[in-house]
Amino acid sequence: MKKSCRVALVLALGLSGPAVAGDLEISLQLPKISEGQYLRPYVAVWVEDSNEKSVRLIEIWREKPDWIKDLRRFWRKTGRADQPLVDGRTGATKGPGTYQLRWDGKDDQGAAVANGEYQLVIEAAREHGGRQLVKQKFTWDGSAISLNVAAGNEIGQVQLSRKAP
Amino acid sequence: MKTVRLLTLSSLFAASAALAHTMNVVPSHYVQSKTGSLITVDLFASNMTFQADKGVGVDGFKVILPDGTVAKAASAAQGKRKSIADVELPVAGTYRLEMGGQPRYFTSYKVAGEQKRLMGDKQKAAKELPKDATDVVTTQGRNRAMAFVTVNGPTDTVLKTTGQGLEFSFDRHPADIVAGEAVTVTLTLNGKPAAGVKADLSFDGELYRNDPARQHLVTNQAGQFSFTPANAGRYLLEASAEAALQSAKADKIREGFTLSFEAALP
Repeated sequence: MKKSCRVALVLALGLSGPAVAGDLEISLQLPKISEGQYLRPYVAVWVEDSNEKSVRLIEIWREKPDWIKDLRRFWRKTGRADQPLVDGRTGATKGPGTYQLRWDGKDDQGAAVANGEYQLVIEAAREHGGRQLVKQKFTWDGSAISLNVAAGNEIGQVQLSRKAP
Repeated sequence: MKTVRLLTLSSLFAASAALAHTMNVVPSHYVQSKTGSLITVDLFASNMTFQADKGVGVDGFKVILPDGTVAKAASAAQGKRKSIADVELPVAGTYRLEMGGQPRYFTSYKVAGEQKRLMGDKQKAAKELPKDATDVVTTQGRNRAMAFVTVNGPTDTVLKTTGQGLEFSFDRHPADIVAGEAVTVTLTLNGKPAAGVKADLSFDGELYRNDPARQHLVTNQAGQFSFTPANAGRYLLEASAEAALQSAKADKIREGFTLSFEAALP
């Protein structure tokens, strides 16, 4: 019974929405930092709704739990409340380079989010280094997305793109 | 004559020193992302916010665990300028660190127009007061200095008010205070909203700027005031209030608290 309901719901969504929902492609650059001591940054990437509530954690690159709190916003919005989620999305820290990430338009529970205004949030904090927060608003309604965020000290250039169906 | 003047001076000094100094409980960390760690807490009296002037006795320091039970510091030592206590954080949740909290009684009175004071409640005063004492008022005073520390997810048990004395509640958890976001504080005296109570909000670094930039706040009829921390950093909220008291021990209650907290980066 439950299963058939879900199938019906998926079908209904599929009919009312675009034929194929394209993912949000995220290109994230971590800059090469040559001044001072360099340790790989802790980085979190997530999506917030228009009330700045976290709806989907995409990536968290970190090592020891002791320092996750230094990703201040990430810790407050997501990390502290849901240990299994953080553990499930944890990856190793990464050095300078460009990384391709994607968001499939679903929340942490795997349900498609409603059309509306969202923001991609990227936070990076480095031991003996700086911290930076990037917030980029976008409209999630099936239309194409092409946005660029200029590079900063701890987070390099960020590009958001989504192809229209 | 000289002796009298000296006595008056020293008693004035004692009174003003007691009033002027602010009690501080300042943890090394307000937020932790791991259970089982230790933090170190500074305990001191200060004139400038977070500038340690005088170490205080560590016996009055206690830790209220997330489940509401009371624990002692793992270790503590009194220093000349500040005292320190190591505190274990074995479980997730919000802890309350607290100094003081025991009520003290003193009775003020006049003899031939001169203001005098003795330490003790109404019963003690009844035995010790001179026969010609007038204007007798016994005050129950209590001062507390506090801070909240949160490990992983925040919890509310240690924030609950008891309906006793001057208490505060925030419209958000202390671990959710963020630079640029408004906070509304409600002050209650014996469980009822306390209107017209003065509070001071100050922030770190007064030694290094000319204008201390303290905010002087007053509660409205609902016992509330609001503030918005402009920048991330450490803040201190101080308030005290008085009210009549129906008690066998005192005629009046005077309650004060200080709370150190941090406004996080947005």
